[in-house]
Amino acid sequence: MSKLRVTVNHNKCVGSQLCVQFLPAVFKLNEKGQSVIITTKEIDQQSIISTAEQCPQCAIKVLDADTGEVFFPPAELEF
Amino acid sequence: MEVTNLSDDLMTKEVIADPHGYYRQLRAADPVHYNERWGGWILTAYQDVVDVLRDANRFSSDRMGFLAQELSQEEQELIAPIFKILSYWMVFRDPPEHTTIRLLLNKHFTPLAIERYRPMVKKIVQKTIQKSIAKGQIDFIKDFAYEIPMSVILELLGAPDLDRDKIKEWSEKIGVFFFIKADEPRRREIACEGINELVDYLTPLIEQRRERPGIDLISLLISAEEAGSLTYNDVLATCVLLVFGGHETTMNLIANGTLAFMQHPDQWEKLQKDPSLLKKAVEELLRYDGSVKSTVRWAKEDVMVGGKQIKKGERLLVSLSGANRDPQQFNNPDGLDITRDPNLHVAFAHGIHVCLGASLARMEVEESFLGMISMLKCPKMIPGTDLSYYPSLVHRAIKELPVILEPIN
Repeated sequence: MSKLRVTVNHNKCVGSQLCVQFLPAVFKLNEKGQSVIITTKEIDQQSIISTAEQCPQCAIKVLDADTGEVFFPPAELEF
Repeated sequence: MEVTNLSDDLMTKEVIADPHGYYRQLRAADPVHYNERWGGWILTAYQDVVDVLRDANRFSSDRMGFLAQELSQEEQELIAPIFKILSYWMVFRDPPEHTTIRLLLNKHFTPLAIERYRPMVKKIVQKTIQKSIAKGQIDFIKDFAYEIPMSVILELLGAPDLDRDKIKEWSEKIGVFFFIKADEPRRREIACEGINELVDYLTPLIEQRRERPGIDLISLLISAEEAGSLTYNDVLATCVLLVFGGHETTMNLIANGTLAFMQHPDQWEKLQKDPSLLKKAVEELLRYDGSVKSTVRWAKEDVMVGGKQIKKGERLLVSLSGANRDPQQFNNPDGLDITRDPNLHVAFAHGIHVCLGASLARMEVEESFLGMISMLKCPKMIPGTDLSYYPSLVHRAIKELPVILEPIN
């Protein structure tokens, strides 16, 4: 399986905490109440993508760490 | 306490007509202001607003719980129907109850999940525009903005044949309680009537879905009840919330956005020339004149906000429209700029209570304007129109928007 890179765009994150609810091992809140990554080690691609989908802001991006291919979100969902 | 020259009366004709002007002055003079008349703090600076909205540990949304503390037992009994339903609305609940319902519903309202409704919305928009062109002059709110969100929410509930006019009437009555017509002396009685009527209308539908489940949201709620994660009160109240919350705010958003374009026709033309700006334009319309002006929180403990000491139990009117025009966060905040980026506005709030229907509303507004710019010249107000807004602390709602629509060719 490809190595994942996960980013949270702080120009988008509104601190809904949905990602923290779904994957508390991967996401936590910083002091501003926005989401940050703890670690993506040992997390499977499907869980991370289905969590990224929950974000109302499409603030979470999931990419292939080597090729840069974007697994989520598709370009047409970004705003 | 700082002294401002501004009156604490938030319901004057001037403040209702131009809340942005009022909040601009208040933000400059006293961004965390104790409003004696309202009996709570008014927050108008972006950073304070965001800090409070993102902190559900120290700021509660338990509106009915705090209201119960203010009312006698007798007064509470008088508005029992309001308590019975609104106490179970997730917007007025704190974790962990809020979290259970939110997580259950959220997966049906994600940006990806709502895409399945886009073709339907496109069709409704096309049909509505064609009907409107044929008329030439319309009340944009009644004839256009209302049609789209109402059709969509009924589709989500799997009940497209429900009586829209009745639902609108009852929703307006419920809205009297806390959104619209704060000057109405019978507002609590009217809201009780609206809730009772809507509950009587929805109850048989819920029972029907229990017998014959579908893929709609009512069936989803019932299956969560049967699995033990929701109560029947949660199911009923959430159905009322979806019907009530599902159309009014989006309708106002489409109307406020259209008015903003009418006042800035250069931005309309810019979007017409480059429709790829659509998503950014929608964000800017949300920031510039969203449909929800403010939301309320209660301090769960003594806490400092913007250098002021807020005491446990005090309430805060968190001004979303104030924050959205804060020059500390946005360049030229009173200008409409459909290319603005980044644009982290608070029109849908921030934090755990960020609007469940945000992605749905965005899509409906996108499709409305995409349809309009493809088929219409920038709408024009019918001359002599005296624009007025419902007197509300919360909603930014134009009463009527009579416009002339002209097709491009």
